Amino acid sequence: MPKLIRLTRWALAALVFAFPAAAPAQGKPADNTQAERQQTQPYNNAPVWREVRKEGQEYVTTVKGRETGVLVQSAGETWRQIRNGPVTVWGGFAILIVVAVLAGIYFSFGPLKTHDKPTGRLMPRFTQFERWAHWTSAISFCVLAVSGLVMLFGKHVLLPVTGYTLFGWLASLLKNLHNFVGPVFLLSVIVMVPNLVRDNLPKSYDFNWFAKAWAMFARNEHVPSGRFNGGEKAWFWGCVVGLTLLSAVTGLILLFPNFDQTRATMQLTWIFHAISALLFMLVALGHIYVGTIGVEDAYQAMRSGYVDETWAKEHHEYWYNEMKSGARSAAGGAVPAGAPRAERK
Amino acid sequence: MARMKFLCDAERCIECNGCVTACKSEHEVPWGVNRRRVVTINDGVPGEKSISVACMHCSDAPCMAVCPVDCFYRTDDGVVLHDKDLCIGCGYCFYACPFGAPQFPQAGAFGLRGKMDKCTFCNGGPEKDRSAEEFQKYGRNRLAEGKLPACAEMCSTKALLGGDGDVIADIYRERVFKRGKGSEVWGWGTAYGPGKPAAAPSPAPKS
Repeated sequence: MPKLIRLTRWALAALVFAFPAAAPAQGKPADNTQAERQQTQPYNNAPVWREVRKEGQEYVTTVKGRETGVLVQSAGETWRQIRNGPVTVWGGFAILIVVAVLAGIYFSFGPLKTHDKPTGRLMPRFTQFERWAHWTSAISFCVLAVSGLVMLFGKHVLLPVTGYTLFGWLASLLKNLHNFVGPVFLLSVIVMVPNLVRDNLPKSYDFNWFAKAWAMFARNEHVPSGRFNGGEKAWFWGCVVGLTLLSAVTGLILLFPNFDQTRATMQLTWIFHAISALLFMLVALGHIYVGTIGVEDAYQAMRSGYVDETWAKEHHEYWYNEMKSGARSAAGGAVPAGAPRAERK
Repeated sequence: MARMKFLCDAERCIECNGCVTACKSEHEVPWGVNRRRVVTINDGVPGEKSISVACMHCSDAPCMAVCPVDCFYRTDDGVVLHDKDLCIGCGYCFYACPFGAPQFPQAGAFGLRGKMDKCTFCNGGPEKDRSAEEFQKYGRNRLAEGKLPACAEMCSTKALLGGDGDVIADIYRERVFKRGKGSEVWGWGTAYGPGKPAAAPSPAPKS
């Protein structure tokens, strides 16, 4: 518990130093305590030394550049403790735990299958535009996740296996990939989100989905939902919108050191970037699981854009009903009549 | 083995920037990179003090701890060095360092910083001692020539001391005793303790 309190204090300290207003103007004498002390005790420099030990003070130096007038910044040590401590340790264990839980679900219950046989009639679920946007974000997300993981854990996990030369080369490549693919991911999400907002608006029956989600996975119970179920909507708003925003804003701050951000800004930003990215990865593991091996034929929707009517009826019944009754056209927009249908398998 | 340390006597430093110039000229450091700098407190008012700062070669170096590619190592003399062939220019060492020692040749968009450069205590890098490659990447290896850092050697008032920690501490102790003031050793608490583990050499990464 004291550790947690200490951590909180660190985080608060980091927050305080993030505000440039806290730093006084360069070279400005803080007070005249030393001048007064000099009158009575000419040799006593205690006020000066008190000043020197203060955090984040900028003094006079001929060397140009950001924060060159700062003598000592202790926040770096705080950042080191947070990064090498909870972020690395808890983040690493969290990923291992989620992988273990998903493996447990897969091997104890197996993939989720439809009760009835496929009809062979296909329904359009995603437009080509939606699929392209999704594939772009999916691939760029994986590149970002792998390169980010290597930068945080590679030293402990990969380096002992590959040795220094290969790891140095790989880390350099992945760091540059991370920096250039990041903006691609952000753009693909910006393109993808407006298209999917309408069908991700929360409905009352989504709560029902959450209540029954476990029964669905464990006992294959039928749970009706709209075009997107409660889990997909939570992923959409929490991760695709929320965490993308957080990790993209922090990522962009870290990406452009040419704007002379202070070290305190970079440290705090890094902490938010790492935590939001780790959370994103944890939930994405679940998203990828249900989109590939976790739910039978879900991957077909991502790949071809079409799903079988049985699949639609059993996984997204309200959407299926809407489509069948003609209350809405094809998913997200136009699929002309007689458009080529994707073949199953 | 000696444990190499820097000590700047603020009672003596006159802000001549001779150490900064000595460093630049000795190592032919590229423009924009400042391995050493002089910072002045209370500039122009009573109690003005100047301190020359560079990498302090910490006992428990934060740069070493946060480096994602583990490119730092410590020599038998306690000097903290790094391998530029491994460095990916992420900037983490700069975020962690209390003294602002790590330098980058550029601060480009998309995180393009180039390889980190910092004070080597005039001890080069992992390349062969006094080789052309070592000089080109890290500057001169004066320790291999039996000399001490150029900045401290060049200091006109002998404010900046660099060498065996025990020897320079003795010199400083004698000064403080004689002048009866100015016992503050700036940066030593942060760099060398208290409570920090003693310098254990870590071999240079095999690249």
